[in-house]
Amino acid sequence: MFFEAVLIGILCYLGALSTPWLLGLTGGWYTLTRPLVSGMLVGLVLGDLQTGIMVGVAVQAVYIAMVTPGGAMPADLNFVAFPAVALGVMSGQGVEVAVAIAATIGIAGTIIFNFMMVLNSYWNHRADLAIEDGDDKGVYMNTAIYPQVTNFLMRFIPTFIAVYFGNQYIEGFMASLPDLVINTMTVLGGILPAVGIAILLKQIIKESTMLIYFLVGFVGIVFLKLNMVGLVMVGALLALLHYNYKPDPQPAPAASAQVMDDDEDEF
Amino acid sequence: MTNVTQNSSENSQIALDKKDLTKCWRAWMMYNLSSMSFERLESFGFCLGMMPALKKLYPNKEKRQEAMKRHASFYNTEPQLGAIISGMAVGLEEKKANGEPVDGETINTLKVGLMGPVAGIGDSMIPGMLIPILLSIGMALAAGGNILGPLFYIISFNAIVILGSYALFMKGYKMGAGSVEVLVSHKSTKIREALSLLGVFVMGGVAASYVNLNTGLEYVTSDGVNIHVQAMIDGIFPKLLPLLVVLGTWYAMAKKNLSPVKAMLSLVALSALGVAVGLF
Repeated sequence: MFFEAVLIGILCYLGALSTPWLLGLTGGWYTLTRPLVSGMLVGLVLGDLQTGIMVGVAVQAVYIAMVTPGGAMPADLNFVAFPAVALGVMSGQGVEVAVAIAATIGIAGTIIFNFMMVLNSYWNHRADLAIEDGDDKGVYMNTAIYPQVTNFLMRFIPTFIAVYFGNQYIEGFMASLPDLVINTMTVLGGILPAVGIAILLKQIIKESTMLIYFLVGFVGIVFLKLNMVGLVMVGALLALLHYNYKPDPQPAPAASAQVMDDDEDEF
Repeated sequence: MTNVTQNSSENSQIALDKKDLTKCWRAWMMYNLSSMSFERLESFGFCLGMMPALKKLYPNKEKRQEAMKRHASFYNTEPQLGAIISGMAVGLEEKKANGEPVDGETINTLKVGLMGPVAGIGDSMIPGMLIPILLSIGMALAAGGNILGPLFYIISFNAIVILGSYALFMKGYKMGAGSVEVLVSHKSTKIREALSLLGVFVMGGVAASYVNLNTGLEYVTSDGVNIHVQAMIDGIFPKLLPLLVVLGTWYAMAKKNLSPVKAMLSLVALSALGVAVGLF
């Protein structure tokens, strides 16, 4: 388990928000740290690819719409994606329980994320000094290398500990929990994706009538028994119709410009 | 554009070639968040993204230092769509270094003026729409533990973003300040609207597929008929309970401004209570 814990720790670091090595957040945060992908990687490392992907999919549903970089994090998805998914796979419980474990770790992980954001101020300060000295290399080191050393430690160590020791104790710990707790976790794991979906709906839906598209999508799966690929096709048709047939509002640009002006006056 | 090339060939001025531009794009994409902190966010990431160009444009150390200072000021945008701003800044620095009337203040004002709108569009387009849509397809393909799902997501997302951000960077470099018009034009607003509609539609499918809640409630009528409430619901509207949970959570978050963490805690309370009284 030592070797597996090291590997998952390194993967966790590579997927962290500020890690540059996989073309920045494109290959790291938005690829490795999506639980759908991390579930596959963790499953491969732990030798149970199928369970890994299934746990990954279930956890992914909760975090499908997490818009985080730069803002306050409601959960540290990186710790959700690696140590938490690994614990979920190793717990030997159902997929729903894995989701509940992951969500708990995700909220706790924001502490480490905030710590990194504060610590990086120190490296920023040193990079400022390097610019003053005309030291190009110093700017590079204090932006790309040193902050990554501290970031690596903050990602690797907790993950390693969670996987290495978790492997020994998680199964026994979960078995020792009373049924009431396990049942609650199972129910919770089933309904938590509602939060991720609601976050996205809140962002997108400007007027409540748009909710009808959500309901039709829901009905498409439940009553029409489409699968997701089929549903996306139908959705693409609706989107195309909207694009082609929505009338161009001629006076709107002037009106909206005026509204914007008014706003500026007020503030 | 033609002016720049003519000038540079006549007066043997410094022109950036494709290789320099690619280096700048790669440096920006890699390091945009690498030293992020609450006070500076992407400042130094932007600076490192300019470095390959600055080194070539300003062999003079003092001038380079001044340019680096300019590009280490506070900066924050959506990094992938934001490649267009980096490309624009590289183009403007090239003009400035070759003696065109572009001053440092103009470059900075443009940067800072554009970072907000681009962040808004980028966050709603990439993590707000592109990623959830690709993920829902990937999750469907991954049913039963199929490796096709994650592979689909990895390949489709990276192909779109890598090619797209590179094209945007080049567009910003060539077109300068006008390039952002492309992002805020009427046509692109319509495309965004259509995509957000697709996003909401697909979320309906995600809710139906991945939110699960059943009630174990049953009761015996006076005639002695045993009624399973869940079986009854399944006969009328399967998945009604998950739908109610999603709509309830959306209502609490959108209309009552409940934070995501509080929403999660409310669901913890709901499940604990439901399990305790035997509802679920």
